[in-house]
Amino acid sequence: MKLSRSWLQDYVDLAGVTDDDISRAITFLGFEVEQVIRTGAPSFNNVVVGHILTRDKHPNADKLSVCTVDVGPAHGGVRTIVCGAPNCDVGNRVPVALPGAVLPGDFVIKEAKVRGEPSSGMMCSAKELTLAEDAAGLLLLSGSTEVGTPINSVLPAGDVVFDIEITPNRPDALSHLGVARELAAWFKKELRYPAVSFTPAAISANPRPDLLTSVRVLADTDCPLYTATVVTGVKIGPSPDWMQQRLAAVGLRPINNVVDIGNYVMLEYGQPVHAFDAAKLASGEIIVRHATEGEKITTLDKKERTLSAGMLVIADAQKPVVIAGIMGSAESGVSADTLDLVLEVAFFRRQSIRGTGKRLGLGSDSSYRYERGVDVHSLDEAAHRFIDLILAHAGGAVAGPIHRVGSDVPWEREITVTPGYINEKLGFDIPAAEMRAALESLELVVTEEIPTEKRGPAWTFSIPSWRDDLDRPIDLVEEVVRLYGTEKIPTSVITAPGLVGNDDPIVLFNRKVADAFVGQGFNECVNYTLRAGQEIAAWTTSTHVESLALANPFVEDQSHLRPTLVSGLLESLKLNQSRGVTASRFFETGRVFLERNGQLSECVAAAFILAEETGERSWRPREAADFYTAKRHAETIAALAGIELGRQPTSLVAAPAQGWQTGHAATAGDIKHGWTATFGLVDLAHLKALGITGKVYAGFFAIVSEKVTADADRRSYKPFSLQPAALRDLAVVVPATTSASEVQKAIAKHARAAAGAAFALESVDIFDVYTGKGVPDGQQSLAYALTFRAPDRTLTDDEVNAAFTKVQADLATAGYQIRK
Amino acid sequence: MQDQLAALLAKAAAELPALVTRPDFEAAKARFVGPNGELTALMKQMGSVPKEQKPVVGKLVNEAKTALQAHLDAALARLEAVELAARLGPAVDPTLPSPDRTPGTYHPLTLVREEMTRILRKVGFTVVEGPEVETEYYCFDALNTPSDHPARDAQDTFYLPESARFGNVSKKSSHEKYLLRTHTSSVQIRTMLKGQPPIRIVSPGRVYRRDTTDATHSANFHQLECLYVDKNVTVRDLKALLDYIFASLLGKDTKTRFRPHYFGYTEPSFEVDLSATHLPKVNKPWIEIGGCGMVDPIVFKDVGYDPEVWSGYAFGMGLERLAMLLYGIDDIRYFYQNDARFLRQFA
Repeated sequence: MKLSRSWLQDYVDLAGVTDDDISRAITFLGFEVEQVIRTGAPSFNNVVVGHILTRDKHPNADKLSVCTVDVGPAHGGVRTIVCGAPNCDVGNRVPVALPGAVLPGDFVIKEAKVRGEPSSGMMCSAKELTLAEDAAGLLLLSGSTEVGTPINSVLPAGDVVFDIEITPNRPDALSHLGVARELAAWFKKELRYPAVSFTPAAISANPRPDLLTSVRVLADTDCPLYTATVVTGVKIGPSPDWMQQRLAAVGLRPINNVVDIGNYVMLEYGQPVHAFDAAKLASGEIIVRHATEGEKITTLDKKERTLSAGMLVIADAQKPVVIAGIMGSAESGVSADTLDLVLEVAFFRRQSIRGTGKRLGLGSDSSYRYERGVDVHSLDEAAHRFIDLILAHAGGAVAGPIHRVGSDVPWEREITVTPGYINEKLGFDIPAAEMRAALESLELVVTEEIPTEKRGPAWTFSIPSWRDDLDRPIDLVEEVVRLYGTEKIPTSVITAPGLVGNDDPIVLFNRKVADAFVGQGFNECVNYTLRAGQEIAAWTTSTHVESLALANPFVEDQSHLRPTLVSGLLESLKLNQSRGVTASRFFETGRVFLERNGQLSECVAAAFILAEETGERSWRPREAADFYTAKRHAETIAALAGIELGRQPTSLVAAPAQGWQTGHAATAGDIKHGWTATFGLVDLAHLKALGITGKVYAGFFAIVSEKVTADADRRSYKPFSLQPAALRDLAVVVPATTSASEVQKAIAKHARAAAGAAFALESVDIFDVYTGKGVPDGQQSLAYALTFRAPDRTLTDDEVNAAFTKVQADLATAGYQIRK
Repeated sequence: MQDQLAALLAKAAAELPALVTRPDFEAAKARFVGPNGELTALMKQMGSVPKEQKPVVGKLVNEAKTALQAHLDAALARLEAVELAARLGPAVDPTLPSPDRTPGTYHPLTLVREEMTRILRKVGFTVVEGPEVETEYYCFDALNTPSDHPARDAQDTFYLPESARFGNVSKKSSHEKYLLRTHTSSVQIRTMLKGQPPIRIVSPGRVYRRDTTDATHSANFHQLECLYVDKNVTVRDLKALLDYIFASLLGKDTKTRFRPHYFGYTEPSFEVDLSATHLPKVNKPWIEIGGCGMVDPIVFKDVGYDPEVWSGYAFGMGLERLAMLLYGIDDIRYFYQNDARFLRQFA
């Protein structure tokens, strides 16, 4: 909201207060100053009207002139001034800054010599006086201006406009009077209300009862109070200059006296008002009612709007003429030939105005105030002020009594508070007298004062009707600290009594994943949670995609919650590749949304990608990543969530592999049971479609958020043997489709049995996978190292050999072909 | 005998230094000292040496044996040195860059978040998490944001369709709609409902606003929120926390100041400015950094805490904004593009 300094000064004496002081005050009262705009001329000292008498070429400079200028006897009469402007012609009247003047930018004018010629002052352009952004020459003044007149007297009056943001709890500050009240409290000055002279008692007769035959309110819940006053015989014309200047300064275009006065009253009191042309009200009737479905109105902005049932309108006998509190119709408004007015000042329920405005997508200065809350108890005063200004600046006379339909909403609110309570909440002491003065300066009135034993006097304050936001003692704490000055809140040492819990396991998980992957040379990414439906369709089922859609997306490519982190990482990779940036390893942690038992579940997730095509040429190439690289990283993530992936059933991702390459990606776990992991090669066709070059391996782990647990129980130590191990190698030939883990389990089972109780099998580790010469087509040879060890002695060759022979025999019996 | 021994030593001294490979060496060694070697053969002649000469000849043989062994050792050492040199290859060029992958990097938002939580941890704040999909109750109602408040408009807040069902985001009532949380303050409510004071938590996390993406706005961004609930918590305590945080983050000279403001869930409420003229690209004496206030009694009532007994403060700030200030980043979108040239700057 824009506020004019000169306007504010009508209500509070700001003489001697700088613009910066006002900005500061507004800021520390709790309203943000977004901009300070200067209009017109600033105030100048020692800048006067001068008259150029002579002009001669400067002897030493082509572009300069030496002029004599009459600045009036009070300022030294005729002076010699060197000037560079092209238009310093004889006869012109121009602003002259005399020695001692300080122009904007702290430019001090002194007696000087310019290229050897004395110069006693400076003739000024509009730019030098900050009246314009730039100027081609001197500012030429009218020939009738008197020589020697201080320049401010001939320039348009300057003003300063503060563009401030009013917080939603303070609708009372959406007016000059409201902000003036705050400034008066801050600067400890008196608040001067406008002098309102109209009183309903002053109305004598009603020569024109036909102009407004009836005012009926059919929707009294949405319109608790409606007033209408007839003024006859007005003359439409421009509003006075000072009013036009003020309105223009705060951003409103002057229209005519009646419209301008309506706006002026609204910006003065915060109470929206409206003026009808009485002649345009069919049958002279005003009906405040709800619109019928489909009713139409063409509003001031020349748009036809279709109303819905329940929208509040002001209608005449035939049609809606105003969308109540929001905007009038084009036709019912005041025009150049309007003679008689109906002045409306009303109170509408804020929810009603807000609902209608929202549904129509329509707002105005008026609806903005109604939505936030207008003080119904100031309504009559604003109405009287409206009438006063109309009579003063548009002429005419009030005809008949004010129509006043509805009843006053009772207002009575008191809050009792003690200085002790306020100081307890603040944690530092403000003197009681200062608190009371601060609250009183906001027109809170002490109605009762009872001493208390420890907390000082218990004051009961009556709260003014425009401060609906003050309801409890804590609200007065804020008022006190606001006026005390929040900048003065003392600093102190933080007190932190021992109160230490553990960080959430999710936090710990994310932190550990980041540490592990950064340690492995990955770049951490942060991608948007909201993704395009089409993007995530590549990664999950269509029903899942559908369930992830937002009700009200803002843009199409951010319409769905993400079910995976991999698609975002691929986007990051693509961006880097397309910018020619070498980077191949990315990871991310964050929330994803997965289907679980027919519902969505918010899950904690981590993912990584490894691109084969790094774009980097190396003087010594390293081994490229493959499926098993991805597997290792996936195991790392799972382990940080307490899951040993290597011990979990792992299978190839079944077709359709949704984002993953069939036969080259594997999955373990199931979100149904709390977690899931998928890792391997990203579908090559999908990569191609994305425009990513080279193979990309990836891994994705997700766990339902409530299943993320803190560190596992502390492990207990298991003794291990210090005896030497006995090693035996064993290779079996199996079909290529047989999994290594199946063979491993079979060998371990038989070896454990063969070792029996006498000693132990320590491990079975695969060390070779071979196909080719010596192994039939469609078969593979898998070689395992068996480690035997006894807890208490060195094993003899004989006993190990016996066991190993038995293992081989048992495996053969089980159908495994031992490779000799 | 003596001549034979001398001839043998001379032969060894001539042959052994010329050996190039280990097999040649082994063959030579066998030739000299192997079971069928020349020295062995000479030693076998000892039996035929007259008894009185035996001490003298024996001594000669032993000396010859020691000398021969020294030749062999020298030859072996020389061969081993050659072999080692062959295995090592030429000296490295220490100025070549390592071809191994470049170091990993933490995202700047992670760095800022971790730094903040580390600072807060020192004064007893525990890091908590909450769901990003929230319900109207936790995001608005419990935070004194009534149902007709503009912040709840579908224009500003992302909602999920009425049909959406979440297995692990609890609702207060079945009529509530799911939405994407607009602030991390919802975590305050979940934390207070779950436990009893005293409470001292910090909750960093992702939040969502239905906003046009530009240099300073993003559909999702991150906040960090502190909540402290205890007996006799005051405005002055809140100021002390903020002074502590920013002095820890930016140095002892850093100051904060409060400006009165309005938030539905705190009273009084303040915006916090930071004096940090040394920050990059900040040419103002004060810069806004977050919002804070004393927990409104209505919020306490709603979670079942007696506002006569408990008091508290809350403070929240944007992590992107903080990171932008700290690092001098001028466009919020860089955080979400993940250009490696950006990411590598903060490692």
